[in-house]
Amino acid sequence: MNRRQFLASAAVSSLAAPALIRSAGAQQESPFRVKYYPVQAGMGSRDVTAAPDGTIWFNGQRNGTLGRLDPRDGSYKLIDLGKGAAPHGVIIGPDGAPWITEGGQNAIARVDPADHKVTLFKLPASTGYANLNTAVFDKAGIYWFTGQSGIYGRLEPKSGDMQIFQAPRGRGAYGMTITPKGDVWYASLAGSHIAKIDLATGNATVVEPPTPNQGARRIWSDSKSRLWVSEWNSGNVSMHDPADGSWKAWKLPGDKPRTYSVYVDDKDKVWLTDFTANAIVRFDPLTEKFTSFPSDKPGANVRQMDGRAGEAWGGESGTDRLVVIQTVAPA
Amino acid sequence: MNGGAILLACLMLATSSAIAEENGARLFEPCRACHSLDPAARNLPGPNLSGLPGRKVGGDVEFDYSPVLRKANAEGLVWDAARLDTFLSDPAAMFPGLWMATRGVEDAAERRALVRFLLDPSSR
Repeated sequence: MNRRQFLASAAVSSLAAPALIRSAGAQQESPFRVKYYPVQAGMGSRDVTAAPDGTIWFNGQRNGTLGRLDPRDGSYKLIDLGKGAAPHGVIIGPDGAPWITEGGQNAIARVDPADHKVTLFKLPASTGYANLNTAVFDKAGIYWFTGQSGIYGRLEPKSGDMQIFQAPRGRGAYGMTITPKGDVWYASLAGSHIAKIDLATGNATVVEPPTPNQGARRIWSDSKSRLWVSEWNSGNVSMHDPADGSWKAWKLPGDKPRTYSVYVDDKDKVWLTDFTANAIVRFDPLTEKFTSFPSDKPGANVRQMDGRAGEAWGGESGTDRLVVIQTVAPA
Repeated sequence: MNGGAILLACLMLATSSAIAEENGARLFEPCRACHSLDPAARNLPGPNLSGLPGRKVGGDVEFDYSPVLRKANAEGLVWDAARLDTFLSDPAAMFPGLWMATRGVEDAAERRALVRFLLDPSSR
C-alpha cells in the first residue's frame, strides 16, 4: 500500500468507523501517521499479523478469541477458540491461514480463513502445561513454536505429527524468528539468551548476549539475517550478526526503559515497544536514532508488532485497540 | 455426630485439603515461567511471590512494577485471600494496564486452590 492509498483508506475509515487517526504526538514534523482501531472491551487484544487479503488477525488473550479486523472500515469479527482459550501469538501459514499458539488449551490452533473453523493440535499430555508463546514456519512448511515453561516444538501441519524438545536452560522460551537464510532462532526471557535450532535434529545452541541478565524477550531478523533482540530487563535493543558473531546494543531513550517487543519492517527499520514510556519506538540502524510514538492512552502495553509493506501494526492489550503506524515517509 | 462420622469427616477434609493443595501446585505451574516461591530466586520476569500473605501489593522491593501496581502499593493495598481471589479471576480488570498478561482463572474452586497454595508459607 502506498501513501496515497493509505491516506485514502484512513480518511474513509475515520468517517465510517470509530477508528482514530492522528499524527504522532511528540513528532508533529514526523511523516508517520498513527491510527487506532477500538475492538471489544476487556479482550486483551495483543499479537497481530497481516492476512493476505488485507485484513488483520489479532488475538484476544483475555476472552479466548481470534479477531479479524477490516482496516477499510474498522469492523471486526471475533472467533471463539474454545473453552478456556488464551491465545498468545498468531502468524500466517503457507496455506494463508492464521496459526495460533493457544496457551489456554495447550494446543496449536489453525483457523480456516474462509469458514473460521478451528482445528486444534494438542500438545502431548506428557509435555504438561507449556505456556505456549510464539511460532514461525520454516521454509519447509514446518511450524516451530516456543513454550515459556521451557520447551520448544515442531509441528508438521499436514500429518499433525508433533515433537517437543526441552529448552537447554529450562523456562523462558519466548519470541521466535526465521531469517532469510532459513535459520530459526528463539529468545529466552527468563534464561537471558537467544538460541538457534538445528532444524534437522531439533537441538538448540545457546548464544549469550553481552549484557548480563538482559531478559531477551523477542527476536526478529532483518533482511540480512541479522537478529534484533528486545531486552526487557536491560531496556536495550541489541543486534547479533551470526555471520561474524558480533553484537551491538543500544539503550532506549528515557528513564528505565522496558523493551518488550521488536519487529523489523520491510525497509529494515526496527520497531520496538517500551512499557515504561508507554510507546512504540522506531530505531533507524543507519542513523542510530530513536523516534518515539507514545500512545494517547495510558497503559497501552503493546506486546508484539508485525506488519506489511508501509505499515507497522500492534495490539494495545491494555486499551483493547489495534494500532497502525505508516512506515513510509511521504514523497 | 458419632466418632465414625467425625473420623470420616476429618478424612474427607484431609483428602479435600490434599486435593486442593495438589491442584494449587498444579495451577501454579504455568506461573513458574515468570514467578518463584523460593525466596532466593532472583532476576525472574515477574516478582518473587514468597512471603505473599500480608505483603503489600507491588511489594517485592527488588522488582520494577508497572505504574498501576506502584500506585496500589502507594495506597497501601495488601494481599489477602479475598483480594488475591479477585485478582486471579481477571488480573487486568482489577489493575488495568498491568504489565503481566494472562487470562484469569474462571473456575472458583481452582482459584481458591491457587490462592490457598500461594498464601501457604510452606509452598515452593
